Amino acid sequence: MLDLIVQNVTQGRASQDDEGLEEGWEGQPGVTELVQKALDAGVTAEDIINKGLTAGMVIVGEKFESKEYYIPDMLAAAEAVGAAMQILEPHLAKSGMKAKGKVLMATVKGDLHDIGKNIVSILLRGAGYTVKDLGNDVDTRSIVDAVREERPQFLGLSALLTSTMVQMGEVINELRETGLRDSIKVIVGGAPVSEEFARSIGADGYGADGFAAVRLVESLGPSQQ
Amino acid sequence: MVRKGLPGGSFKPLSDDDIESIHQTAMRVIEEVGFQVNSEAALDLFKEAGASVDDEQRLVRLSQQRVMELIDSAPSEITLCGQDEKHDILLGGNRVHTGTGGTALYVFRQETGQKQPATLEDLKSIAKLVDGLDNIHLFLLPTYPNDLPIEYVDVNRFFAGLDNTSKHVMGGFYTLDGARQVIRMAEMIAGSRQKLRQRPIISMITCTISPMKLDKEYGDFIIAVAESGIPVVCPAEPLCGATSPVTLAGNLVIQTVDSLMGVMLTQIVNPGTPVIFGSVASTTDLRDFKYLAGSVEMGLINAAGAQMAQFYKLPFYATGGMTDSKVLDAQSGYESATTSLLCALAGANFIHDAAGLMEFALTACYEKYVIDNEILGMVMRAVDGIEVNDDTLAFDLIKQVGPGGNFVSARHTRRFMRSEHYVPTLSDRDSREDWENRGGKNAWERAAEKAADIIAKAEYSLPAPARQRVLSEIDGIID
Repeated sequence: MLDLIVQNVTQGRASQDDEGLEEGWEGQPGVTELVQKALDAGVTAEDIINKGLTAGMVIVGEKFESKEYYIPDMLAAAEAVGAAMQILEPHLAKSGMKAKGKVLMATVKGDLHDIGKNIVSILLRGAGYTVKDLGNDVDTRSIVDAVREERPQFLGLSALLTSTMVQMGEVINELRETGLRDSIKVIVGGAPVSEEFARSIGADGYGADGFAAVRLVESLGPSQQ
Repeated sequence: MVRKGLPGGSFKPLSDDDIESIHQTAMRVIEEVGFQVNSEAALDLFKEAGASVDDEQRLVRLSQQRVMELIDSAPSEITLCGQDEKHDILLGGNRVHTGTGGTALYVFRQETGQKQPATLEDLKSIAKLVDGLDNIHLFLLPTYPNDLPIEYVDVNRFFAGLDNTSKHVMGGFYTLDGARQVIRMAEMIAGSRQKLRQRPIISMITCTISPMKLDKEYGDFIIAVAESGIPVVCPAEPLCGATSPVTLAGNLVIQTVDSLMGVMLTQIVNPGTPVIFGSVASTTDLRDFKYLAGSVEMGLINAAGAQMAQFYKLPFYATGGMTDSKVLDAQSGYESATTSLLCALAGANFIHDAAGLMEFALTACYEKYVIDNEILGMVMRAVDGIEVNDDTLAFDLIKQVGPGGNFVSARHTRRFMRSEHYVPTLSDRDSREDWENRGGKNAWERAAEKAADIIAKAEYSLPAPARQRVLSEIDGIID
């Protein structure tokens, strides 16, 4: 059963209606159906996550690194894992596993680009994080309010324009002024953004692409609240 | 995903009227001017077949009707088999295939900058290399082993091919006895005389002499191969301004007449002989009379040759993909790509010389096989064209994604991304940082690494029993 979950993650199949990367998978149970079956059969959420979903994503990551997999392959796999995590969430406490954490995502004010942010969101969900996506063109006030209400461990900010990336600095300043800055790790990304820029505005880290963003969040670990 | 045998034909340098004019002019040449046949046996055969023969000038003239009858007796489709069936090639119609060509006297390695006389070992290495390059569909023996005495060249060339690639092996030959030995060897490998005819794993190339001349030696060669029933190509090599009129249309007339000479002779000898209408037509550098291998006009006349072959319903052997450059540089890339693409889009059945040749086809270059493999992958993708149907138009998807959305996570993207878009095997698409981190290598440097890797990992050899038998029964093979 866990092997099948691994295979279906690598095939990027969330449900039985999905086609796989290879031929002949359609109609067979996908990751969500298999996860439900595994739970029904008494497999722990911990095993499903570690030996099924994560093991599958490790293979997907390797295939992506070696350029066999494309971004859409990676996204399909991450979506499948994200959907499975929703099923597993109520079972995590029972299994004694701690949730990996919550990430708030937003494209900053004045910027309508959201493909990059959406990819990062999918990949983070695929890595087991809970993601709340505030959308694009989100003003600083709304972001700060959401941090206060949602209490996420991470805030991911995206900007694709040199004219809007300065908004990221304003969000961080506002978090500082409202006393929220220390409760959260802020990561930034987007085509014009760089490591250097991230440092200059006082962000905790910069991810060059979606996978770098996931690695970054993993390395920053659970924020001290 | 390997693309081969896909239908070309979207590029038509000749209109239907143009084709008819070239055909009629070629027929007038055969009827009114005639061609010279210097083989006694061939001359007798033409005479028996109803040609009017001027014995003194050894000139053969045939009526248009007789020419067309002989063309009609030739098959319009020929299967060239690989030792592995997945490499079988069905020549005919407008289906496009690619292959190597020859016969180069030298080999060049860009890595070392060394140009040296080609050896038997080079031929084996290139066979291994081509076996591992998917976009090269057929192995035409590309080099001459300068380290062998001529009487052993033919068997060793074909053995080097057959023992190192499971793709079809085509080649010219240097002596009639050599050709007979090669056919005997191929029969042993195929299993029997009969099996070789059913699944020809080799084919042979003979030549006519442009303009309008059949040499004694090559005339006898054509007769011998036609008698054997092995597929044969009779290419003509009219060169603009030298052995044909300088005009492209005039070149096409000569190309048509000269290749048809060979086609007709095979059909007189053995009606139904699998014969391939061939063109090695090109241009000359009229400043110093050199043969040119990379001119755009060469691409045009070979593309037009494909249309003439389609008109006569004969399988076609075209020439393209070479360069006159002495090294791998921008010129070697643009010349090779331009001529290959023109031939392929015209639906040339087999583009020979399409990989590995530089310096007026005198020199084979290891790295260039790998680079041309990439060019040919892109060329075959262009031949594949644009598929338009409900699935590819994707209205439902467009509606679902909506304004401002994106297609990156759509299942539709995943379903079509690999088949709709050519996946490079050599081209660099890394960011500058990644490229620099990987050593900042240019295309030929990466090609050199890939060539060395493929040759080092090559595994194919003849099945042991056949190999043993060939080595013990055929004289002069150097293992």
